Amino acid sequence: MNCEMNMKQTLTRAFAYFTVVAFGLASTPQLAQAGMIGTGTVVDTAVAAAQRADNLARAQSLLARADVQQQLQKLGVNAADAAQRVASLSDAELQLLAKQADSLPAGGDSALAVIGIVFIVLLILDYTGTIHIFRR
Amino acid sequence: MGRQLAIALLPVLLAGCAGLVPREAPVQGRSERVELADVPFFPQRRYQCGPAALATVLAYSGIDTSADALVPEVYLPARKGSLQVELLAASRRHARVGYVIEPTLAALVAELDAGHPVLVLQNLGAVHLPIWHYAVVIGYDSGREQFILRSGSTRRELLHAGRFAGTWRRGGRWGMLSLRPGEIPGGAQPARYLESVAALETAGQTAAARTSYEAAAARWPGEPLAWFALGNRRLADGGAREAESAFARALELAPGDVAARNNRALLLARRGCRAQALAEIALAAQRAEHGPLEREVADSRRTIEATAPGICTP
Repeated sequence: MNCEMNMKQTLTRAFAYFTVVAFGLASTPQLAQAGMIGTGTVVDTAVAAAQRADNLARAQSLLARADVQQQLQKLGVNAADAAQRVASLSDAELQLLAKQADSLPAGGDSALAVIGIVFIVLLILDYTGTIHIFRR
Repeated sequence: MGRQLAIALLPVLLAGCAGLVPREAPVQGRSERVELADVPFFPQRRYQCGPAALATVLAYSGIDTSADALVPEVYLPARKGSLQVELLAASRRHARVGYVIEPTLAALVAELDAGHPVLVLQNLGAVHLPIWHYAVVIGYDSGREQFILRSGSTRRELLHAGRFAGTWRRGGRWGMLSLRPGEIPGGAQPARYLESVAALETAGQTAAARTSYEAAAARWPGEPLAWFALGNRRLADGGAREAESAFARALELAPGDVAARNNRALLLARRGCRAQALAEIALAAQRAEHGPLEREVADSRRTIEATAPGICTP
């Protein structure tokens, strides 16, 4: 929409890609052994293995990492923490987060929330005349 | 109308608190009662049960940490909570194997029997109105049909087994362990464990992964994947001959394993055994035809064909 916004987004993205590529290269020990088939390739499902074996797919995984890092930042995590957090995710976990970071369960509530729900139920019951605990 | 709606909604809304859940099988472990009383307690602040529960299992595994220290690692401010995969990833950053248990009460109890506290995701609300919460199960009592948890701001929560099972079921029966390198889960699930260790390895925790692979091969000597993974790790650590023997072991157990045969062939070629390497890669190519590893094996074959023969010592 607005130019400044786009510029900023592009820069953030570029920075994210950069840090992720740097992390990715530093933390992929299997790459060092040419021709050897890595454990990750075999452990994953056959389809994922076929994809991962592909260099293109490897690049895509780096991009997914960058995207997830950006998503974490949007959800309030600072850039440095986000970079470290994505570096420890497996490829399968990255795919999951890239697709559904907004809908996955985020555990965080305590009993307070339960009390809140009970309160709402009581309010509904009171409103409909089933019970009478709130004075009107 | 409004009244009917409220009455219709009531059981849905209260399912989490009222214990209207169907009864599951009674708690049955190896003992009558288990309580891992040494598990520390980190009371949660608002919304931060993820960092608190993770600190509980990590501290029990010997990591010096706290709920506050883990907030920047697993908390998502805009979601007011933590994601499951991030708890696993954070375990790896602390050189612990983040292991997701089988989604059954029996598996959960088996881990408690083995002395492992289990970090669980509970849905304290209803299926369509979830209230997600993380807690750590530290024990059970068969006689009283109870689970014992470190949860929220309660140091020792006693939850009726049926009620706990309901909240756990609505949370997708998800539970994880943070295991020390080399520590094996109570449920005998080699593939699940090896997958968790592979993720630890990819996250750059190579020493912890090495220890865990060695332990897996010792615990499940008949599991070819354990030997294969150990072979790759030993090679990356610079032990080509040790790696070769691990691949050989994997192949004794699973002669059709393309990946192990491919890797063994490359190692043979590397130390001058060209003829043996060619024979091995030919076998691998036969098996790999039309499979997911076809291209890798073809590449290896070209590499081996291009190597000069050398002095091959057995």
